[in-house]
Amino acid sequence: MTVARRPFLGKIGKHLLLLPFLVFALFPFYHMTLTSLKQDRELYDRFAVPLIITQGPTLEHYTKLLWDTDFLIWTKNSLLVTGLSTVVSVVIGTIAAYALARLKFAGVAAFGTGIFVTYLVPTSLLFLPLAQIINWIGMGDSKWALVLTYPTFLVPFCTWLLIGYFRTVPKEIEECAMVDGATRIQALWRIVLPIAVPGLVCAALFAFTLSWNEFIYALTFTSSSEQITASVGVTTELIRGDIYFWGSLMAGAVLGSVPIVILYVFFLDYYVSGLTAGAIK
Amino acid sequence: MAVRAEEIRVTGARPGLVARVRALLDREEILGPVFVTPALLLLLLLVAYPFVVALYFSMSNAFIGRPSEFIGFRNFVKLWESDAFRQTFQNAFVFTGIAVVFKVVMGIILALLLNEQLWFKRLIRGVVLLPWVIPTALSTLGWWWMFNSLYSVVNWTGIATGLMDPPGPNWLGQRYYAMAAVITVNIWRGLPFFAITILAGLVAIPKELYEAAEADGAGANARFWHITLPLLKPVLAVVVLFSTIFTFSDFNIVYVLTHGGPINSTHLFATLSRMIGIDTGRIGEGAAISLYLFPLLAFVVWAQLRFVRKQTF
Amino acid sequence: MGPVTRRHFLTTTGAGLAGILATRVPPARGQQREISYLCWNNFAPASDKKMAEIGQRFTKDTGIKLKIDHISHMGPQQAKYASEVQTQAGHDLVEMRMHFPWLYEPQLADVSDVVTGLEKQYGKAIASSYEGAHIKGVWRAVPQYHGMFVATYREDLFKKASLKVPDTWEDLYTAGKELKKMGNPVGIPISQNYDSISTAGPVLWSFGGMEVDKDGKTVRINSPATVQTIEWYQKMFRDCMEPEVLSWSDASNNESIQQGKAGWIHNPVSAYIIAKQRKLVTADGINHHRSLGGPQGRHETDTPRHIGIWKFSKNIDASKEWIRYLIGKRENYDEYIMAGDAFNLPVYEKLQDHPVLRTDPKYAALKGEGVQYHTYGWPAPPSDKVQLITNTYLLPNMIAKAVTGTSTKDAIAWAENEMKKILAG
Repeated sequence: MTVARRPFLGKIGKHLLLLPFLVFALFPFYHMTLTSLKQDRELYDRFAVPLIITQGPTLEHYTKLLWDTDFLIWTKNSLLVTGLSTVVSVVIGTIAAYALARLKFAGVAAFGTGIFVTYLVPTSLLFLPLAQIINWIGMGDSKWALVLTYPTFLVPFCTWLLIGYFRTVPKEIEECAMVDGATRIQALWRIVLPIAVPGLVCAALFAFTLSWNEFIYALTFTSSSEQITASVGVTTELIRGDIYFWGSLMAGAVLGSVPIVILYVFFLDYYVSGLTAGAIK
Repeated sequence: MAVRAEEIRVTGARPGLVARVRALLDREEILGPVFVTPALLLLLLLVAYPFVVALYFSMSNAFIGRPSEFIGFRNFVKLWESDAFRQTFQNAFVFTGIAVVFKVVMGIILALLLNEQLWFKRLIRGVVLLPWVIPTALSTLGWWWMFNSLYSVVNWTGIATGLMDPPGPNWLGQRYYAMAAVITVNIWRGLPFFAITILAGLVAIPKELYEAAEADGAGANARFWHITLPLLKPVLAVVVLFSTIFTFSDFNIVYVLTHGGPINSTHLFATLSRMIGIDTGRIGEGAAISLYLFPLLAFVVWAQLRFVRKQTF
Repeated sequence: MGPVTRRHFLTTTGAGLAGILATRVPPARGQQREISYLCWNNFAPASDKKMAEIGQRFTKDTGIKLKIDHISHMGPQQAKYASEVQTQAGHDLVEMRMHFPWLYEPQLADVSDVVTGLEKQYGKAIASSYEGAHIKGVWRAVPQYHGMFVATYREDLFKKASLKVPDTWEDLYTAGKELKKMGNPVGIPISQNYDSISTAGPVLWSFGGMEVDKDGKTVRINSPATVQTIEWYQKMFRDCMEPEVLSWSDASNNESIQQGKAGWIHNPVSAYIIAKQRKLVTADGINHHRSLGGPQGRHETDTPRHIGIWKFSKNIDASKEWIRYLIGKRENYDEYIMAGDAFNLPVYEKLQDHPVLRTDPKYAALKGEGVQYHTYGWPAPPSDKVQLITNTYLLPNMIAKAVTGTSTKDAIAWAENEMKKILAG
């Protein structure tokens, strides 16, 4: 076998190996999309083939979701809350991570460990005492309560991630800059952060996803239709007692994820290419 | 720019102090604490304080809307006598153990594959990310629809391809199948997290190491075990740590798919705590259930972090 | 990126701080009174719309602003109530399902005056409303409506196979055997959900059994009636049902009969109404018959709903006015019930034969002649310990064990043990 051919076969092999992963990841989504496009008649027909649409697709579930419910308002709320929480968490996480990775001061180690301990307390337990605090501040039934509370589970992860990235930036670069007259903060802003951008993007993406998916706090701290987020709204409106509006529920799942996936794909490309461009020496 | 924001925050735009503040902030002992303060405040007020309250709940007979009294460890002791709780305890370890192992192994394989030169790279990465990105409350409902005893597409496909005899397993109604089902959904949802984070770790490994090893005659296998894996250890360690914690405290999957059944065989700490704490109003017991493993998990976190610190320094 | 976000962070924190310093107390409402009401998303979206309409008329007539929020049934609802009670803030009026008033009793305002007024108009409230909302002589919530369980069956299949419409649980077994042979088995869930309890209860009661006695302290599950119940379930599971019932959720039995599989289920009218609305093939064939009886009477599960007012509400009087407007004014109550398409039925004696039941001949069985309706845990008053027995699904789990291999004796012993532990506290 020539050298030229082996890599090619190897390439096919790799794609084949990827196939089961892709099927595993994609199939439920395919099924959900299919369900959202099937007419009710076919949906509830137990003899129908579940893998394809045989009686013609319909957009009625989507129209019901978009026009009969406040789905657009809820999505707007979700985007607002998620976006703000992400920004807030990444900022707080960045400066905390920088301090923990680079600076020496009292309590570094303790704080570093302390951050992780907060993850051991599940939100399903914390929400009750937290509700008292939120109410005391006067933010009951408000999406701002979410912007305040989401960072509690986003900041620890962002901090950890960014500590790792900051540690890979050689100290010498910063020290050079400071010798040249820059302050620490300037060095951080102009030198370290640009190198750590992939880490920031990564932290932002994960923070975004975790907040987007959050349910318990969203349910507890918001009530009115104008304040609730997309997942709460969809499950509340479309599950009535023992009646599930499957078509529209799945439509909600699809609409709730496709835009985010596009966002992700765009940034992920940038992130990985940023790394491989040799930014880290 | 950055400096002006500092001024506004600290001095309220009084130009005279700028130079002094700048000098102050340049000192590690000042900047450090200043930088961690926001995170610290956030976590103290919105996590530590509620946690202390929750701790109090767990050691009291708190009931919704009624005054409570401190009763020490009685909840914790009593819980152990409950059949449902003992079953939950076992479930949690089985669930987390199996799910995390699968996620680690599959995550590494997937990350290695994603690291290669691929056709349709963007598309593939998007697809891989899908489970992580779909709103959890809704994706779990999608899985319920898939495992649904009436229309189960899983069974339909299994029967159509001859892998199963009709009517196919009763996924959510039989002990071990139900556990398998919830573990599968957890792996489905968590795999992207592993794959992407490990991928980041992989990308950071300098190519020169591989080139040097290859030049020395090391095969692909050897390169993996002696270069890749050791260098991935720090990333793996922390990803496993986070995943273990998240998986242990998983709520949504079990709640939606099985409600803890059949006969408590899939109950996890979070779902049992919800059932007893919120649905029945016994906040004290609910808190005790949630916190039962806290000492153990705290130890695990501490041990892992020491291990990671040793590795990276 | 840096300065902008820092400023933003600053402003949001600043706003929060200002909030703390300035207004620890909710702003004074001024002249106009405002109340808020949290209720669940009704099976019938039309009845939610009707309630909103009535609410607007209420505001016009009384000047009291009314905000109605909806929440999902069960799980999320209780989490929400828990947080409102803990924070002593939230809505003024809350919907209370079944025996919830017992759970939240110390937090609910006394509404006996409202109920007495309604009873004068409409006659006494039905028994299950009393069970759910009348606690230690005081009404803690106002009975609003109910939706009872009833036998839902495929009339067309029964006719085709010349099966007798069952009148007792034993009849069901006879018919069920044939149904299963036809490929349309009976569908009774035996899993960790409320529908399972809603059937296991009536079967147990019809054999004369109970979980906990009237005194609320004595466990009575270890009895011949329970043995009979379990044996009934065992033969049903073996000959009339399929193992899938072990995995069912509350919606599964609906879906099973709606898409043509189940031949008989036990459910409120939701299954039929949705089939009708979605124009499913099975809709024409579905009908209801009177609840089944046993040697010790004809008992059935009821799901009464009531409206409660939190004690911490600052608008208790205004809230009572809303209740009186919605339920007390005959025209409004009638409109509301009619909008529910027989999902929501009146809970007062004089209104039992309501026009809504005549909108479809298939609702005739809902009149429930000779049927005794109860909430979970009957005859024990639904104290929080009894509710814990209910909420940990001890009854369905006992049956599930018994139909999957555990001996009847052991299953009962297990349940008895668990119940005793719970009552011992």
